[in-house]
Amino acid sequence: MAMLGGLASLCATRDAGSHTSALSGSSQAIERADAEFKRALMAVREAEAAGADRERIAVLVSRLNFVLGGIDEAEHLLLQGNITDADSIAQQAIDDSKGIALEAIELYDEASLETYYEKIFTFGMAPVASLLVTVGAHYGWKFWRRYEVDRVMRMEIKKVKEPEEEE
Amino acid sequence: MRRLSEDMKRAAVIFISATIIFSALAYVAVTPRPKEQFFQIYVLGETRMAERYYPDDNPNIPVGRLVQWYLGTTNFMGSVQYLVIKVKLGNSTIKAPDDINYIPSPAPVLLEFRKVLMDNETWEFPFAWIIGEISEEGDMTYATVLVIDVKNGVEVQAGRVSALNGHNFRIIFELWTFDPVTEELMFGWRAGGEQRTVWLQVWFNATKPQTS
Repeated sequence: MAMLGGLASLCATRDAGSHTSALSGSSQAIERADAEFKRALMAVREAEAAGADRERIAVLVSRLNFVLGGIDEAEHLLLQGNITDADSIAQQAIDDSKGIALEAIELYDEASLETYYEKIFTFGMAPVASLLVTVGAHYGWKFWRRYEVDRVMRMEIKKVKEPEEEE
Repeated sequence: MRRLSEDMKRAAVIFISATIIFSALAYVAVTPRPKEQFFQIYVLGETRMAERYYPDDNPNIPVGRLVQWYLGTTNFMGSVQYLVIKVKLGNSTIKAPDDINYIPSPAPVLLEFRKVLMDNETWEFPFAWIIGEISEEGDMTYATVLVIDVKNGVEVQAGRVSALNGHNFRIIFELWTFDPVTEELMFGWRAGGEQRTVWLQVWFNATKPQTS
C-alpha cells in the first residue's frame, strides 16, 4: 500500500538508452492504469449517487482497492528495475479498472431505473392516499352527523325541580 | 352548470389538502437529507490509544529504535471517497500546511497511503518507523527516517532532513482526496462549495544510539 513519493526523480536517474525507454514505457502503463482507475472510481461514485445497493457498491470498492494495490506493486517493481512484471501488473490493473467501470455503469443504469420507479410509486401514492383520506373523512362525517341527529331526536324534556317546590 | 353540493365541496377541499400534504411527505422521503461532510484523521500510540507515542514516553528517539503508531481515518462525506495520506518529514523551520490558503507543507514526502473508502468506513493501519542513521555537520543533525512496512517487513527508504542539534523533527500527516471536478488529488476536500483541510504532526528529537 505504501508508495514512494520520489518515483519520478528516481526514474530520471536511471541509465540512458533502451533501458530508459523501457522504463518510460512501463511508467506510461502505470499512468494509464492510474487514469483507468480514476475513470472506474468516477463510475462507481455515479452508481452510488444513483442509489445503487450499498453491498454491491462495497464489492466494487473492494475491487478498486485491489487495483490500487496493483498500481502500488507495479510502482515498487518499476523502482526495483523489474520492468516486465511492472508492466504486466499495470496492464492487469487497467483491465480490472475497465471491468469495474463497465459493471458500475450497468449498476448505475439499474439503480437509476429502480430509483425512477420508486419516485413514481412514492408520488403516485400521494393522490391514492388522499382519496382514501377523503372517502374516510366523507363517511366519517356522515356517520358522526347521523349520530348527532339521532342523539338530538332521542332527547327528552325533563322537568327540573325548583328548590321552593322541593320544600 | 349544476352547483356542487356541500358534501362534494367538503370532499374536494379535503382531497386537495391531503394531496398537498402527502406530496410534501413524498418529496421529503425521496430527497436525501443534507448532512455535514467531513473526514476524521487520527494517530494513535503503540497501545492503539492516544498515548505512548514514543518508546518509554521519551520523545528523544535513538537511532534504530522502532516507533510504532497507528494511523486512522474515517469517511463522513456521504459517498465513496478516494483518499491519500501523505506522510512528510520536516523540522521546525519548514512550513506547516496552511489551513487558510489550503497549501500543503513543502516538506519532502516520505510515502503515501492510498485507499478507497465507503461512507462511514474507518481505515486504520499500523505505521512503524525508525531513525536509520544520523550525521552531524556543525550544529545541524541530519536524520534519515525509515518507514517499516509492517505487513511485508520491508524497510522503505525515506527522506533525510536536518534539524538544529537533532531537536524538533516532525512527521506530518496530510489528508488528500480525489476531486471529482478536476479529476486530480487535492489537499483536503471540497464540501458545500468550500475547501477544508486536515493534517496532523508529531514532534520528536533524534539522538545517537546509547553506548554501554
